[in-house]
Amino acid sequence: MSQRPRKRKLPAAAVTTEVLLRLYVAGAAPNSVLAIANLEAICREHLKDGYQLEVVDVLEHPRRAMADGVLVTPSLSKLSPGPASNVVGNLSDKAKVLLALGMRGKAR
Amino acid sequence: MTARNVLLRLAKGGPEQRAVDAGEIDAVIDYANSNVILLPAARRALRERGNEASIANRLLAALPHAEYLRLLPGLEPLTLRSGEVLYEPGAAIRHVYFPVDCVVRLLAAVDGHPALEVGLVGRDGMVGISLALGVGVASARALVQESGTAMRMKAALFELELRRCPQLQRDLYRYSDAMLALATQTVACNRFHAVEARLARFLLMTSDCVLSADLSLTQSFLADMLGVRRATLNEAATPLQRRNLIRYTRGRIKVLDKKGLAAASCPCYPPRAW
Repeated sequence: MSQRPRKRKLPAAAVTTEVLLRLYVAGAAPNSVLAIANLEAICREHLKDGYQLEVVDVLEHPRRAMADGVLVTPSLSKLSPGPASNVVGNLSDKAKVLLALGMRGKAR
Repeated sequence: MTARNVLLRLAKGGPEQRAVDAGEIDAVIDYANSNVILLPAARRALRERGNEASIANRLLAALPHAEYLRLLPGLEPLTLRSGEVLYEPGAAIRHVYFPVDCVVRLLAAVDGHPALEVGLVGRDGMVGISLALGVGVASARALVQESGTAMRMKAALFELELRRCPQLQRDLYRYSDAMLALATQTVACNRFHAVEARLARFLLMTSDCVLSADLSLTQSFLADMLGVRRATLNEAATPLQRRNLIRYTRGRIKVLDKKGLAAASCPCYPPRAW
């Protein structure tokens, strides 16, 4: 029996998977506020509406941060699509954030 | 455990350690004690902000924390001075204002008569509510009555955030309905209620808004706000003073007995909460 030919991979632009992001912050501390603003700007530019962002304040939900293995804040986790990845800091390094979002080379 | 001890546990040369060295980290999680430890710079900044937040505007305070954090970079704190005019009727709304501890009066004028009060905005509300209803032009004059802080947001950004934040939208609709109800009630009140009762109501509402019993109001300003002559105002204020409900000195009025003043006011006080 012959194998079914494998489906051709769709070009990246046609992939409509929603990117799920979670950002851990410490209240309105300066780096946390900056991280939210930076991330929103990057998402608006590169993901349009194709993303969901959850902001978790570790000062209000410390247990959640611990359950998720967060070490420092601000800390961004990409939950899906896989593989999961993580960036820490105020997210002002756009290339690093795009790399973590799996959008390497799309900076600029 | 101190921040330093927890920091020492981070992997040497790892991304967390590098971000800490770059000053990009606000807090570290202390797993040994199930605790979040703020780094000194973040703790200082939060303490300063905490002082602001304790007297924050109610519309902003009611937002989910994450939404509030998102709005924060677009909110510019500034001091508004008594006598400053934020909008003239018919002018484009360039900013909306969320008063923190200042009070803004909305005034309507016709044919050169002194302006009559149609609304009062304090920490419970927002100046520029027309924009939330899709109209970018002010309908009344907005005059700062009591100096204080307000958070200002650019009109274009406000419109964008309003679409993104259903809770803010819902609260502002409810608030604008309460403002409309108040203006409607004021029309009837101005026509049918005695000046003394209206004065009592006016003082109570101002006092609630300023969060102080000590009000800086001149006689001529009060007379204008109530749409009466100064002599008429005096006739109304004297019995209230005689009953020790208020104390009137030059340019200042102190509410001495809030309960008694509420009894002397028309039933239009208290206004409907939103």
